[in-house]
Parts: sequence; C-alpha cells; structure tokens
Amino acid sequence: MENLSSKYGKTLNLDKLTSYCPGCGHGIVTRLVGEAIEELGVMERTIAVVGIGCGGFSHHYMDIDAIEATHGRSPSFAVGYKLAMPENIVFTYAGDGDTCAIGLGDLMHAANKGMPITTIMVNNTVFGMTGGQMSPTTLEGQVTATSVKGRDISSQGYPLLVPEMMQSMAGVKYLARESVDSPKAIRKAKKSIRKAFECQVKGLGYAFVEVIVPCPTGLKMRVKDSYERCANEMTDYFKPQVFKDETEQGDVA
Amino acid sequence: MTQETLFLKNTETFAESLARCGVKYHFAYPITPATDVMKRMAVILPQYGGQMMQMESELAVSSALAGAACTGKLAATSSSGPGLTLMHEAIGFMCAAELPCIVFDSMRVGPGDGDILGAQSDYYVVTRGGGHGDYHTIVLAPSSGQEIADIMPHGVRLAYKYRAPVLFVLDGVSAQTTESTTLPAYNDYSAEFDTSEWAFTGTKDHAKRALITGSYTHQDGYEMNEMLRAKYEVIRNNEQMWEQEQVEDAELVVAAFGIHGRMCRDMVAKMRAEGRKVGFIRPITLWPFPDNAFEALPESVKNILVVEMNHGQMVDDVRLAVNGRVPVHFMGKTGGDQPMHTLAEMITEANRILGE
Repeated sequence: MENLSSKYGKTLNLDKLTSYCPGCGHGIVTRLVGEAIEELGVMERTIAVVGIGCGGFSHHYMDIDAIEATHGRSPSFAVGYKLAMPENIVFTYAGDGDTCAIGLGDLMHAANKGMPITTIMVNNTVFGMTGGQMSPTTLEGQVTATSVKGRDISSQGYPLLVPEMMQSMAGVKYLARESVDSPKAIRKAKKSIRKAFECQVKGLGYAFVEVIVPCPTGLKMRVKDSYERCANEMTDYFKPQVFKDETEQGDVA
Repeated sequence: MTQETLFLKNTETFAESLARCGVKYHFAYPITPATDVMKRMAVILPQYGGQMMQMESELAVSSALAGAACTGKLAATSSSGPGLTLMHEAIGFMCAAELPCIVFDSMRVGPGDGDILGAQSDYYVVTRGGGHGDYHTIVLAPSSGQEIADIMPHGVRLAYKYRAPVLFVLDGVSAQTTESTTLPAYNDYSAEFDTSEWAFTGTKDHAKRALITGSYTHQDGYEMNEMLRAKYEVIRNNEQMWEQEQVEDAELVVAAFGIHGRMCRDMVAKMRAEGRKVGFIRPITLWPFPDNAFEALPESVKNILVVEMNHGQMVDDVRLAVNGRVPVHFMGKTGGDQPMHTLAEMITEANRILGE
C-alpha cells in the first residue's frame, strides 16, 4: 500500500476508518483542517477542542492533542486554553447544533473577545448524531424528526445565519462561509480554512469558517441527492462567501 | 511578594492567597458576595504575570477554567450560589477529566435567585458532587482570613495531587468579614507537581493525547469509573481535616463549620467557665467529611448539637458519622434580618440539652 503520509503529511491519521456515515461532509472538512495544519507546519503545537455530536469524532483522525469539551462550550474552553498557552494554536470544531444552538452565547462572546482562535462550524442543518432533529439552521419547511410538518418560521424562527451575526465584530479577522458541494467548492473551502488557521498563527484575531455540508443519514436522503440539496437549497440560503479577510497583515510566525 | 500583614476583607485575602500560591489565571462573573475576589485579582494578577478574565456567564467561566486547566497551569474562579449552580457543568467535567483548579463559593441565602445575605445553604450541593454522575469535589471550609491564607498551599497541593477541582466554601458572613491576616510570601505550589505526564500541550514531546469524558461503556469505560471510585476512597481515608477542643471529657459536643465553627471557641470557653462539660468539632474539610472525629468520640459524650446557617444540611453527615450511637440535635437559621443564631442562643440551646 502506498505510504499515504508521504502524500498527506503526519497530521491526518489515515490508518483509521472514520466513523462518519457514508457521504457525510465531515470527512471532507476534517481532511481540509488536517491539511491546513500540516501545510502551516504547526501540528505539534495545535490543539483541537471539539464539540459533542458527530463533529466530536473529528480529532480521532488527526494526530494532535484534543479536548472533547462539554456541549456547546468549545469556544469558552478555547478562550481559557489560549489565555494560559498563547503560543499554541487552538481551534474548535463542531456542528451547527453544538455551535449555534447550545453554544451560541459562548461562540459570540469568544468571537467578540477577538483572541486568536479558529472556529470551524460544520453546518448540515440537522442534529445528526441524535437522529435528525431540527437545529437552529434547519431550513424553512424542512422536515425533521422534531419538525414533522416542516420548520414553521412563525414559531420556530428563521434559519440562523451565524457568520452574518459576527460581521460587525472588529475582533473577527477572518470570516467566511464555504460549501463542499463540488470539487470547486471544496478547493475554496480549503483556502478559507487555511486562512482561518493562518490568521491565528499570525496572532491577528478570531477566525470563523462555516462549512455547508450534507448529512444523508440525518436527512434520510441518498448521498447524491444530499449533495444536490447542498448545491442548491442549502447554498441558496446559506450563501458561500468570504465576509471578511484581514489576514494579509503580519507574517506566519 | 514578601510576607506581609494586611487588614483585608476575607474575599480579598482569598484573592491574595490564590495569587501568592501560584494561581496565574482567574475567570469570573460578578456576583455578590464574591465579586471582591475578581476585583482584586484583576488588579494583582498582572503583577504575577497572570490575568483575570471576566466572562459572559458562569457557564463560560467554568468552561474557560477547564480549558486553562488542560494546559496544566493553575487557574481559579470565584462565585456564589446561583453562579456555582451554572458552573457545575464544567466542575463535573473537570472531575471526570481529572483537571486541577480552585473554585471559591461565597455562600448566600436561598434557592432560585437567592439573596445576597450570607448563609451556609450550599453544603449539600458542594459535598454531593453538584452535577450529574458519580463524583465528589474536595471541599475546604476555612473560618477566618488567617485560615484562608494558611490552608491555600494545601488546597493547591490537593488539586494537583489528586488532579481534581478543589472547592473553598465560606458563608457570606465570614467571606465579608474584614480582619488582619498575615499573607505568605509568593510561592507557586503547583510547580511541585510534574504536569508533563498528562497536560494537553501539543504533541512535540508526547504521542497524541485526547481528553474524553464521554465514554463509560465497555471495559475501559468501566475501569475509568472504578478509577474515580478508588481515588475518592483514597481521599476519604487520607484527607479529613477538622479542629476540635475539649472533646476528651465532654458531655455535649457542638459541631459547626465556618462562622458558627469559629463561634464555638467562645461558646466552649464561656460554658467551661461555668463548669459545663462542652467541647466542639469544627470540620475543615466538608468533603471528605471528618467521620474520624465523630467515630473517635469518648463515652462521655451524651449529645451532639449541630449549628448551621441553613435548615439542616451538615447535620445529615454528623448523623451518618455517629450512626445512631449519640443523639444529634440541630439548630439553624437562615435569611431574615439576623441570618444566623447568636452566641447567646447557641449557649441557651446547649444548656437546654444538657439539662434534659
């Protein structure tokens, strides 16, 4: 068998089969995160703070120290860690439920503090691990186990646009939404995730990337259909874009 | 910082003791009667190369504390009842994750929002774990400024020796008392412990470490739970602390902690001067509860009186410790204009029991 680490580097642990479901977008995002860490050469001083849910699996496929935080609190864990150990690179990785349901308060205050921390939010519009319940990013009319007639915006609100909420925060230095619906989109996502880490390596401030991904299992869809949904309905509402990029200042330390 | 004697509020003494014993990072959210700790930490920690970080809630406070503790460095927080309730999420996490830290609870009155009046109403919540799952936190209950300063090195050592959160609890009355205290010279007691074996500092000098507290199934999960059980057993057997006086020939033993424990000294002196055979036991560790003190009571002891600033919480542990061998009486008061029993009331009750 080809030595994969010579191709992908040491950060990604390719000896393990992932426990992500077939077609899950987490596998792509996990790889992009691993590649960014590898390319920046910061593996030995990078710490993953992962959330509860499928996103919590992500660190198992990277040979870096990791902390599985309490549900939604990864950003606060990262703030405490970064204060005590500013020389290390700290990133949080979690899904939409962990990041913007139970953890929205922690996320917004961590972002507003503007400490050099990187957050990756993997948005598949559903609570995947617990079996497909409505999340704050569930689309209008989307049928889930807990919105059986479709999300009713009159009482359940509109899908939450998280990076848009951070736009006015001066401490946020890199802010983007990406998707994994096509090879082209994945290449763009890779660039944004790398910038989000670079932003921290340069010590500039908070960096946030939301990645729109499919969850065929939680949505009860075929893999192909779930990627089509990702390319159409999901990204029609969650529009991929770089909201803010102030990473051109400073050198990679 | 060198040794110095200052006239301080005990919350300020707590902050000074933390900083002088090596705490570099303090996370907190304002709440009466604990805010003076974070206020003083904000001023003094930069002098020690550290920082006080104000967070947006006590949930975030305890989470940031856990994040800092992952580095192996010494961090602390301070709060009062309602804040402590929110903090229990990450306190339980740190017990499962085996992370050292110091937590201070300046106890106030009442459930719900509570009120700012001092009380001893958090005895149950601090000695029974506080959150979900099987765990305990070590709980120290100093009763004066000097005892805070004197016991802090021990508190830091306990946190690192057992890799666990150590809680300090003071009733809000003791916490807000202003008195002269001799503060120790600076010494980082956490530096006595090697954290490189477990801290999550990056894979430069060790293979990947993952902090996982969410796996209790299968054999490895079972063993993790059993390891915690064994650790608590060691703590129970080795770390009980209490103060006692004139128990040897006592007919009545008064048991109290915090401000009431401190009052016991005057109470026993006064009653002994009147020929009454009274002694006292003042628990210093609330968990582990000093069972040994009560198991060793002499035959002369016919009654125990427990005095608390609540409706009867520590009294349960006294009853468990004596296991029916001695009648246990209780007097407690909380809230109102005078949120505790006076020395005169304690003596009257003791005399009534002695006269029975």
